[in-house]
Amino acid sequence: MDGCCIKAENVSKKFTVSSGGSTLKDTMLFRKNRACSSHCVLDGINLEIKKGEQVGLIGKNGCGKSTLLKLFSKIIYPDSGCITVSGRVSSLLELGAGFHPDFSGRENIYFNGAVLGLSKSEISQRLDDIISFSELSKFIDSPVRTYSSGMYMRLAFSIAVSSSAEILLIDEILAVGDAAFQEKCQRKIEELKNSGTTLVIVSHDESAIKRLCGRAVYLKDGKIAADASPDEAFEIYKNSD
Amino acid sequence: MKFANEIKELISYREMLRSLIKKDLRSRYRGSVLGFLWTLLNPLFQLLIYSVVFPHLLKVSEKNYPLFVFVGLLPWIFFTSAVSVATTSIVSNSNLIKKIYFPRLVIPFSVSAVSLINMLFGFIIAFAAIIITKTPVGLSLTALPAVILIQFLFVTGLCCIFSSLYVYFRDFEHIVSVLLTAWFYLTPVVYSEDLLSGKVKLISSLNPMTRIIYCYRQILLYNSLPQFSSIAVSAAYAIAVFIMGISLFSRLQRRFAEEI
Repeated sequence: MDGCCIKAENVSKKFTVSSGGSTLKDTMLFRKNRACSSHCVLDGINLEIKKGEQVGLIGKNGCGKSTLLKLFSKIIYPDSGCITVSGRVSSLLELGAGFHPDFSGRENIYFNGAVLGLSKSEISQRLDDIISFSELSKFIDSPVRTYSSGMYMRLAFSIAVSSSAEILLIDEILAVGDAAFQEKCQRKIEELKNSGTTLVIVSHDESAIKRLCGRAVYLKDGKIAADASPDEAFEIYKNSD
Repeated sequence: MKFANEIKELISYREMLRSLIKKDLRSRYRGSVLGFLWTLLNPLFQLLIYSVVFPHLLKVSEKNYPLFVFVGLLPWIFFTSAVSVATTSIVSNSNLIKKIYFPRLVIPFSVSAVSLINMLFGFIIAFAAIIITKTPVGLSLTALPAVILIQFLFVTGLCCIFSSLYVYFRDFEHIVSVLLTAWFYLTPVVYSEDLLSGKVKLISSLNPMTRIIYCYRQILLYNSLPQFSSIAVSAAYAIAVFIMGISLFSRLQRRFAEEI
């Protein structure tokens, strides 16, 4: 595992699309004639990502990019094959998951930090940074339900990037808040990149991938169609239709 | 050792466990005027109801009947509220499960711990009642933490089993509620174990909750240590259910995010 922090070996993932319900009755009575079709989302993926590398995952909707990211973050598990991840992972799959609307911004920082696996003192250390990065110091003690969706996203993003994880998994969330804040997010991610954080980014934003990543993986129908520099990968992606 | 790993990971996420417990305790009474005071008022009113209603309805031989019921009811409510809330807990936390990685065991553990804490608040009222009614208590109190621990393991094990099965079989919610009602009548909560005879007595004695409630009553009402056999049997039940619960849960959790 030296120098390699994410390794996927021959990983496959199927999703079962069943038409029946999942009640006891359905399972017991209609076991045989249950119409199940399975859809293979990832098919024999082999991928190694080294420590400190920045990788973009690109491809059409439904090609398995987000599924791969979920597998890396251990939210779901592969049907076959093996994934090894070493290092602390912070996943920005959806911002603000687990925010409690009735609690203040400050309380949610503590709760969300704890969900990311930080201890109370680690969160306290980062509290000021998080608040100032989010530019919400005026509203930090009001309940999150009073926030606008932009404010909500800013707070969530600030927590996620402050968790000082070694591996950051980002799913299409580079567009947070207004133009100025987006600019700030991009700078923050670049800063993390320079400090050696491993990044895996799923995005349709070509320029962002080109700016942030040194490598891009193009997924097509559950297989890796290209693994190259962002310029080359996008070239193949565009010509493949 | 898979079991040890699960526990180790859970410990490393103890801050999340703590926040979930705090969140639950605080949000439960948020918005109500008396707020957190309800945690104390609820058991107090229950105690009052039992002391007013029951002596009029039933002829009871138990000399301090309200306290007798109350001391049995607190652990029963711990058990039944934890199990019924936990059953749907994985599904009701789907927003977390689907988006973020964390050891899933945190959820049933937090549900069980919240119910435990509510029971401990109830004990404050129970102790006040014990002092007011001049019920003697003494050194036997030292056995109380052990009994609480045994019950916690038992309840948490069941929480793990029911919460993980419910993800796959949504009928489970209704099965559990029927099961808990039947279980209530088979457990000497509002009546005394001595009233039972024959087959019912046998079933009741195999019931781990009977043993556990017996231990609480021995300690708090009769100022004596529970029989060693009762403690040993309930500890054996508790440890078996706890280990079974965690192994079942860790096997079923892999597909949680897809099934909910």
